[in-house]
Amino acid sequence: MGTQVKDVVIKPEAPNTLLLDKHADYIAAYGSKKDDYEYTLSEYLRMSGIYWGLTVMDLMGQLSRMNREEIIEFIKSCQHDCGGISASTGHDPHLLYTLSAVQILSLYDSINVIDVDKVVDYVKGLQQEDGSFAGDKWGEIDTRFSFCAVATLALLGKLDVINMDKAVGFVLSCMNFDGGFGCRPGSESHAGQIYCCTGFLSITGQLHQVNADLLGWWLCERQLPSGGLNGRPEKLPDVCYSWWVLASLKIIGRIHWIDKAKLRSFILACQDEETGGFADRPGDMVSSLWNLSHTILHMHIYFACDFSRTCHSLYRAYHSLRYILASVIYFHPGGSFPHSVWCGWSVFAGR
Amino acid sequence: MHGRVKVKSTAQQEEEKRKEREKKLKAFVSARDAVLRKRSAGEHDEEALQLTQQLLSSNPDFATLWNYRREVLLQLETSREKDEVQKLYESELHFIEACLKVNPKSYGCWHHRSWVNTRLPQPDWTRELGLCDRCLSLDERNFHCWDYRRVVVKESGVSVEQELQFTDRLIGSNFSNYSSWHYRSTLLPQLHPQPAPDSASNTSPSPTASPQIHSHRVCEEQLLKEYELAHNAFFTDPNDQSAWFYYRWLLGRAEREEMISCVYVSRERERVSVAFSKPVHAQSEGLMLVLDGQPQQVEWRSTHPRLRHSPVWLCDLPPGSVSDISNEHNLTVHWTEKYTHRDCALYTGCAESWCRDSATDQELFRSELSVEKSSVLQAELQSCNQLLELEPQNKWCLLTIILLMRALDPLGHEKETLAHFQTLKEVDPMRSSYYSDLCSKFLIENTILKMEYAEVRVFSLSNKNLTTLCHLDQLLLVTHINLSSNQLLRLPPQFAMLQCLEVLEADDNAIESLEGLYHLPKLEEVSLRNNQICKLSDLESLASCTKLTRLDLRGNPVHKTANIDSELSQLLPLLCKSQAFVV
Repeated sequence: MGTQVKDVVIKPEAPNTLLLDKHADYIAAYGSKKDDYEYTLSEYLRMSGIYWGLTVMDLMGQLSRMNREEIIEFIKSCQHDCGGISASTGHDPHLLYTLSAVQILSLYDSINVIDVDKVVDYVKGLQQEDGSFAGDKWGEIDTRFSFCAVATLALLGKLDVINMDKAVGFVLSCMNFDGGFGCRPGSESHAGQIYCCTGFLSITGQLHQVNADLLGWWLCERQLPSGGLNGRPEKLPDVCYSWWVLASLKIIGRIHWIDKAKLRSFILACQDEETGGFADRPGDMVSSLWNLSHTILHMHIYFACDFSRTCHSLYRAYHSLRYILASVIYFHPGGSFPHSVWCGWSVFAGR
Repeated sequence: MHGRVKVKSTAQQEEEKRKEREKKLKAFVSARDAVLRKRSAGEHDEEALQLTQQLLSSNPDFATLWNYRREVLLQLETSREKDEVQKLYESELHFIEACLKVNPKSYGCWHHRSWVNTRLPQPDWTRELGLCDRCLSLDERNFHCWDYRRVVVKESGVSVEQELQFTDRLIGSNFSNYSSWHYRSTLLPQLHPQPAPDSASNTSPSPTASPQIHSHRVCEEQLLKEYELAHNAFFTDPNDQSAWFYYRWLLGRAEREEMISCVYVSRERERVSVAFSKPVHAQSEGLMLVLDGQPQQVEWRSTHPRLRHSPVWLCDLPPGSVSDISNEHNLTVHWTEKYTHRDCALYTGCAESWCRDSATDQELFRSELSVEKSSVLQAELQSCNQLLELEPQNKWCLLTIILLMRALDPLGHEKETLAHFQTLKEVDPMRSSYYSDLCSKFLIENTILKMEYAEVRVFSLSNKNLTTLCHLDQLLLVTHINLSSNQLLRLPPQFAMLQCLEVLEADDNAIESLEGLYHLPKLEEVSLRNNQICKLSDLESLASCTKLTRLDLRGNPVHKTANIDSELSQLLPLLCKSQAFVV
């Protein structure tokens, strides 16, 4: 009696080079057909979708193909009286989309088109007695929101408004037997939550509280024989987990514990040669923006050296990303935080 | 959106699909617009419930609709009697369950269910537990459901024992049971806590790591039973990785007692170096230095600017306070936050002094072993070795044997450990870097132990395939270090903790960065032949090592720099020219 390892097999005819132009075209066209089914159905996360798309275009040196003015106006229309920002017009404000909006505006160096003080008040108001953060006034608690809170405030230079000790205490109370983190105290470790918590601890200067060797082992065990990464034990590999796992490993200084070459071939095999974009895993339907942004981002973190030989603009993006990562890892609370620093990050949104 | 296989279809099929989607889209858009119109108009009625119901059934992630629904329900509550409110929310629970059948992983759904239970005049926790049981029987890894279950258990007072039995059943019957083992790890410390330490040494609560992480929070008797449970699981299925992860947790060492590990005083430099049992931020720890009964006004600094939290901190004594070698002094460092301190006597005629608990004293690199635990672990080691004979390629088994050997006798098993690491890299090549780093860590630990037994201050670990450095806080007293012929890439900021270092040999590595060679007050000789130091700027930190007289950089790309001699003498003016590197 033996368990089969859950994994996929990469076919020999799968793509093995990065089809950057196709991906850029895919994003540039995304959302232009506003009658598109999936586009409309994903309206509930539009702000994050825009952020992922913009970040990737910027990394590919093609940000100018996106409509800056339209996006800025859109964001302005999404800030509510309470200061919080919603995913789209007519939707309710939430921390997830407040962060995405602040990230976009930072990317565009236009943070003052919204009422920044109110955003800060909104975020501060969501902190609970135990240090945790609710996502919105309806009270869902999750370490994702702790990350959103500090990331937003860090970008605005306002980390000092919250109770930092308690915020840190809450996140640490979500650390598990395996060194990982879950949504709430007692929740199982999950790559997405681990990304949020290690990101949180990096921003708040508390990375020394992480057991990097133990967590790094758990994270590198996400790599399956196909080269792809899963999000937790006994699950299938998924391209988006490459992002969360890799980013977490980078934050804790253990990224070299993953087999780079095998991961690379897995990701390239996830590309859709016809439409552009990436599927979760080779053979699946393209899960559009979500996967594409995550993949491009992490490929830049890990494989950027390859890009530098192929394209000058990517080389520039690679350097900015290196600076970004260095800043995140060695961030000192209270110091200035370059707005471009979040180019390389995205938010783990519900899906 | 995830997990849909791409299937190529005919043009006709494509057209049919497109028409179908267009129809769906139209329906969605019109329903959505109707709902948002109603909400803008401030309408909180039954129709709103119907419309949102339609949309949420297939779009449970449309969070704003759940919000609207809650507003409507709250409004309806105000005009209803208690029993009607009960019915209202019970029917809401039916609706949510229907949604969960379609999408059991929607955050919005689960959160709404929790919210409904806060509004129900009489929540039915038995029913909720039943829902969890059903949901978990369909997917034992659904963390939403597990999290919901934890809330239900808390509210309804289900006992920890019952939940432990629940995990027993699941673990016994299912392969994909990581979630159950995880749950177990959180239940055990509640049911079988380690007896609390003496309250006098107890400290005020601080934001330290979760109770879950440390197996010492479980009393030993229960812990030893857990070995058997995990052992049975991976003997039944040696590829059941969950059990192996859990087992590693059982083997983990207890959280170290918070204390000052070492105080070192240098008369010449009039400096005190303090090593703590964990990284701290000295300015927040209420540190107090007392010299001959007098508290001293001192400023604590880390050994490197990048280390804001560090196990080693330094301070300078007032000038002239200890410089006269004919005087004896008594020094105490108080760590007031943790109600602990350490004394250090600086004797007449002694240029330096220290007081410490060694790695051996603290049993840093092995398990604390009671007689019972020792015999259990010995038996476990034997069994795992038997399993290895049957499954020589099983990486989990190999790694666990290594961990067992380290728990029992790190030095005694060194040779076997190295052999097993070699095998590990062969059977699990994707994780070679991990195994190399872990092996390096264990070799460093063994070298520290050997150094302490020999009572010398020389650390020598050359030609051992070292890929990383760690435990540098344990090397505070080391005067000579040999790391030659390894695979090191850098001397990290933590290297600056080697405050007593006089001689560094690190030839034949791949070192690119010398960040950690920073303000090392006693460093005189550095040999870095055949490394990867590329730019002059890589040597900048050496300028802070003011006693440096010998620097060997032969075999590094940097030595090909034009005018290297004059460049270096500008960068490192104190370096004795005749003793500098050879071109």
